[in-house]
Amino acid sequence: MADSTTDFLKGTLDLMVLKTLSWAPAHGYGIARWIEQCTDDVLQVEEGSLYPALHKLEERGLIVAEWGVTEHNRRAKYYRLTAAGKKQLAASRDYWARFAGAVFKVLETAPGTR
Amino acid sequence: MWRRYLRFWGPRAEADVDDELAFHIEMRARDYMARGLSATEARRAATGRLGDLAAARAECIAVTTRRERRMTRAQLIDAFVYDVRYAVRTLGRQKGWTLVAIATLALGIGANTAVFSVVNSLLLNPLPYPNADRVAMVYQEPTEGNSTGMRVFINPQPRIVRLWKEHARSFEAIEPFLASDRAMRLSDGTVSTVRAAFVLPSFASFTGTRPIRGRAFTDADHVEGGRVALLSEPFWRSRFGADSAAIGKSITLDREAYTVIGIMPSTYRLPRLSEAVSDVWLPLDLRKEGLGLSVIARLRPDVNPATAATELDSVYARSELAKTDHGDFRTKLSLPSQLVSFRDSLVLLSAAVALVLLVACGNVAHLLLARTATRQRELAVRAALGASRVRIVRQLLTESLLLGVAGCLGGLLLGWLGLNALIALRPDSLPELAVARIDRVTLAVTAGLAALTSLAVGALGALHALRHSGHDALKAGTLGLSQSRRQRRLRALLVVSEMAVSTVLLVGATLLVRSIAHLQSIDPGFEPRDLYAVQVGMPREAYPTDEARRAFIAQLAERIRSAPGVAAISVAAGAPPGRNFMIGALQVDGQPAPPPGSTGFVDYNGVDANYFRVMGIRLLEGTTFTDTSASARQGVVNAGFVRKHWPGQSALGRRFRVVYDGKEEWNTIVGVVADAFTGGLTAEAGTPMVYVRSTELFEPVVIVRAVAGADPIPGVRSLIRQADAALPPPTISNVDNAMQRSVAGPRFTTVLLVGFTGLALVLAAIGLYGVMAYAVAQQTREIGIRIALGATQSGIARSVLSRGVVLACAGAALGLVGARWGTKVLEHMLYGVGRFDAASFAIGALVLIGTAALACVVPMRRAVAVDPLIAIRAD
Repeated sequence: MADSTTDFLKGTLDLMVLKTLSWAPAHGYGIARWIEQCTDDVLQVEEGSLYPALHKLEERGLIVAEWGVTEHNRRAKYYRLTAAGKKQLAASRDYWARFAGAVFKVLETAPGTR
Repeated sequence: MWRRYLRFWGPRAEADVDDELAFHIEMRARDYMARGLSATEARRAATGRLGDLAAARAECIAVTTRRERRMTRAQLIDAFVYDVRYAVRTLGRQKGWTLVAIATLALGIGANTAVFSVVNSLLLNPLPYPNADRVAMVYQEPTEGNSTGMRVFINPQPRIVRLWKEHARSFEAIEPFLASDRAMRLSDGTVSTVRAAFVLPSFASFTGTRPIRGRAFTDADHVEGGRVALLSEPFWRSRFGADSAAIGKSITLDREAYTVIGIMPSTYRLPRLSEAVSDVWLPLDLRKEGLGLSVIARLRPDVNPATAATELDSVYARSELAKTDHGDFRTKLSLPSQLVSFRDSLVLLSAAVALVLLVACGNVAHLLLARTATRQRELAVRAALGASRVRIVRQLLTESLLLGVAGCLGGLLLGWLGLNALIALRPDSLPELAVARIDRVTLAVTAGLAALTSLAVGALGALHALRHSGHDALKAGTLGLSQSRRQRRLRALLVVSEMAVSTVLLVGATLLVRSIAHLQSIDPGFEPRDLYAVQVGMPREAYPTDEARRAFIAQLAERIRSAPGVAAISVAAGAPPGRNFMIGALQVDGQPAPPPGSTGFVDYNGVDANYFRVMGIRLLEGTTFTDTSASARQGVVNAGFVRKHWPGQSALGRRFRVVYDGKEEWNTIVGVVADAFTGGLTAEAGTPMVYVRSTELFEPVVIVRAVAGADPIPGVRSLIRQADAALPPPTISNVDNAMQRSVAGPRFTTVLLVGFTGLALVLAAIGLYGVMAYAVAQQTREIGIRIALGATQSGIARSVLSRGVVLACAGAALGLVGARWGTKVLEHMLYGVGRFDAASFAIGALVLIGTAALACVVPMRRAVAVDPLIAIRAD
């Protein structure tokens, strides 16, 4: 997976985690699976960075964790978005949209039109 | 729940992270298996997808641990803030209770703060010099023949100091100094007395002080004869209006001109605490012999004082001086704090305030116990609602800590007020008290004391509450019987201890009061009223020879004799209160001659023929001086002298002499006079004393007997001005006042001890009152039943009173035992009363029991007033 998608992911992992959690609390594996499914397995979450990222988000107070039980009756750590997390998500989303739009513009602009 | 609990103790972060990652791998493996992989393959693939597992794990653990540590801290602070808020609220709900508790603590702590600030300034930190812990005073003591009963310090001669400075290796610095008065002539021609200090140039660096203007002394100033002067800052401000132009000006001291070269700050001080701040500083000329010097020295870091003193002695013994000088002295080093005259009193007062604090603590413990008793239910409810014991104890400790903080602040305020009062009321004989300050050390000690006492007292209350926060407390309306009994026993124990401590203080205070009463009832053996001592300072420059001085005084005395209001005068070597000594060994008829060079001290006074009549000292036998010529060598001795040397016999016609070099002439005793406390009221009664004709006086005193009620001072002053306008103003003292001053120090100590004792006694009485009132309240029903069954009012009253008195008696008995041991501190402070004085012990115990009985009056009334109908129906 040493292609461009990895680096691309790194900057946006936090954003996607927050977005995922904005629907419902989830455990780490659930978050990874959700992202993979959403992007039709285009984006494969690098699991080695997912958990540190989760813990850092928790440290920043954007998400909180609590232990719960899965449908298979298995103990798992569930993450939930906090109010601060929601705010952060909205802000990042705007930023990301503007950023992505800008990148698009660059890519769409044909040479010599300016 | 279980896990939560574990988390408090175990390494939570690791376990959690491992769990989480294991779950992930398991889920991913399950996914793979669903797609058809075997279990092992699925697991390997899942682990592989996680990449560097160890690194991820470590990072997660680090992040989580960091976060948790921060959270724990925040939680602790939150809990503490909560505890404090809660405590403030509960304490605020019972304002009266809280106020009494805080006031009690503040009194106990305040007394300690005030006394400790004095101890700290005078004993622990007496000198503002660098490396003060290595600074010592150096003086000499006679090896033998000190019969004065006092410690005698001899100031070393300049030649000895020069020797020490040159050869002694144990010291970083040896600084001799002198202080004396000088007459300063002002521009308007008037003369005033200034306090001059004589030091070497190195003294400034020894004390770590720099001039605030101009320069300090240099070695060159000394070589050139030293007609330069430094002014002290206060003197410069008051006399020169803080004008920088003062530097370079000339001032005239004892008719010699000195050039002002600099201004020294007021912190530049001679090491003797009692010494007033010097006005001017002059160069000390070590080459000039004659005067004994005070010496202060700084030891090298690794040398102990005893070794250093021995070195000084051996330096002297090896020198040429030892072969020619007489005298057998031993050098001593002592810390400046050991020379504080108030030392014994301070030790005593420190002990006293510590005891006061103990009693105060006892009382606060009472208060807390009474409160936990009434709060039993609240605590039980909280425990039932899930508050852990740790939580409850922490809550109770927070409350007492809060009390401690308030008590500490109150104590600081009271201590500050107390210290200022102490300084304001200090007797003239204790000038060093003025330097006492509340500094950082005092603040720290006060805070420490407050923390210690509030925690100790709080822990007692908390333990007690904990033991009884069981479920039965919830059920019972009041305390269970066994609990109330146990609490009563604890409180009785507390009150007995308080009573015991108070008894010790009472006995000590009574001893001191009786001692003072003794001092004031002393018949001094002379008539101090209407008696004045006139001391004229005659500058050596104007009156260089002893003859000139004697002639001037003789002529002055003649004039004073005829001044208005003067009945009679006498010229003597010394006036009361004060002791004069002849150095040498006393030899009376029939005794072998003492070896030459023996250095004893013989109490003496050089007097004229009028002395005994003017003083009012009774002649017991023989005559006073009949032949006024020096060659007659007549002597008069006191009754104590006769008792010592010829008990039961007549001393008339016998001879004595004071031997120093063996060539002294004999004096024939012509009269015996009554013992007189001319050395001050604290001197030992009947100390042997000799009177000889005053022929060799250096600084004679004119003793003036005034006509009753007349004030001869203005007349005498103007006479002296007429005789020599250039003289500094004479020192004229009223002998009666001065005699009273000689007991001012002991009286001051006594007043303070009585004050502290009163404080302890009142606190102990309040403690007893609390216990009795509590007991009566607890037994209201029982008392009601007894009244209903026909108990008389006096019977009820008696039972309450007797319980209180029994507690007091137990306390008094313990206290008397304590006092037998504790009065040792007083041993050297008592006059005319022994430390085991039975009367004092009895008075102490009786006062205590009487006070205790008084404290029982209100509870007694309450018990008597119990209405049996209400009491039995209640609850």
